[in-house]
Amino acid sequence: MKKMIVLNVNGETHEVAVNPWKTLVDVLRNDLRLTGAKRACEMGTCGACTVIMDGQAILSCLTLAVECEGHLITTIEGIEGPDGLHSLQKSFIENGAVQCGFCTPGIIMTAKALLDENPNPDDIEIKDALSGNYCRCTGHIKTIEAVRMAAQTDREGD
Amino acid sequence: MRLPQFEYLRPDSLKECLLMLEESNTDARVMSGGTGLLVNMKHGVIYPKRVVSIKSLSELSSITKDSEGNVQIGACVTLSNLSKHPLISQKFPVLHNAVRSVGSMHIRNMATLGGNICLETRCWYYNQSRQWRQAKGLCHRTGGSVCHAISGSKRCHAINSSDTVVVLMALDALVYVMKKDQERSIPIREFFKDNGAHNTVLEEGEIVASIVIPKTAEFTPAKYIKIQHRQGIDFAIASIGAALKRNGKAGEMTIVVNSIASAPVMLKKTSQIIMESGFKEDAILKAAKEARSEIGTLTNLFSSAGYKRQIVEVLVRRVLYGIKDEMDLRRDKA
Repeated sequence: MKKMIVLNVNGETHEVAVNPWKTLVDVLRNDLRLTGAKRACEMGTCGACTVIMDGQAILSCLTLAVECEGHLITTIEGIEGPDGLHSLQKSFIENGAVQCGFCTPGIIMTAKALLDENPNPDDIEIKDALSGNYCRCTGHIKTIEAVRMAAQTDREGD
Repeated sequence: MRLPQFEYLRPDSLKECLLMLEESNTDARVMSGGTGLLVNMKHGVIYPKRVVSIKSLSELSSITKDSEGNVQIGACVTLSNLSKHPLISQKFPVLHNAVRSVGSMHIRNMATLGGNICLETRCWYYNQSRQWRQAKGLCHRTGGSVCHAISGSKRCHAINSSDTVVVLMALDALVYVMKKDQERSIPIREFFKDNGAHNTVLEEGEIVASIVIPKTAEFTPAKYIKIQHRQGIDFAIASIGAALKRNGKAGEMTIVVNSIASAPVMLKKTSQIIMESGFKEDAILKAAKEARSEIGTLTNLFSSAGYKRQIVEVLVRRVLYGIKDEMDLRRDKA
């Protein structure tokens, strides 16, 4: 039986009717048309479905949508500021850390959760945080460089 | 992969939760983080009629100290919150390390300690798609009467892959379980059964409410190591936890290995060698050799039985040297 729930995504509230077995990634993509978070492995291994819930990076493929009521969800579509792209997005472009782009939203959301908590991570901390995200074409060196550079830009900007 | 249909229940209190479980009998599964259960449901290896979500129960989500100084960890404390908690990182750094070795940051943000202890056992032949399993013939776990891991065996030989239990067992923690009108505490060393299909002593309608680490385990010299194929995120080929608990003048050595059988294995004979001879070079080598023959293991999940024996010998050696170094360091400081 479908249940009406209110989701707070990127600062906007959405009322949707969902079955309890619907995962958050399906509701984001199919009901809210926010297709940044990807359905890939669907088992929690690849990180392509990563979104931020209450400040923490979580896997939307292993989260039931009915459990997200009352939580603040941020997806890649919601991180752009009034001045344009988020520093992480800019840094990914500048460092060539995006090729096909499929895994990029997941990686950026993971990196954002990391930088929000730890604005000055060393390489080991960046690698540790990103170790749950697979990238099959760009590789991981440039993504690490991009996160490092975004952290530096943010620090200098403050 | 879609989730199968189920009825979703979210109790508002622990009392209501226990009542729901009592009423549901075998039809219900308890879900906390969901990182284990939902994957198994997508694979069609578990298909409960009801899912009882305990994630939002505040009674099970705190880390507290009781009047005697024992640390009580609610079953629904996430692994991230557990590893970041100052009580754990300062007094039980070995548990901090074990918790950090589980999954990725995302998984630790969702998964809980109670869930990690009650982790479903896993098997090469069982954690596969439905078509794959049916083509091979049904095993003990999926309604048949054979075991593909050990042919001819009358029971399931799926592997227990929980990383945190080796440390909790080494520190002699207690598991506090509850069901309607009943509660009991079980030493975690007696919590597991060597049967892949039913690997804990939990009864129907019973849930893990909290895990208690005794005050006596604080600052215990201890070591944890996990061997895995992919360093970032993977289940263990083998994991080991060891602690030297002060018991009067003599030390009580405990070494526990997991991911090699359906239940974590306590290496009693191996520990005995160290307790008798201390951390001498030849005693450590002898103990490590003993571990090789003491464990019962099989070819399943990631490597052959022979390799697992070899890796356990190495792991025992490394944890014993680790504990020895830690004690030497403490002696130098004092």
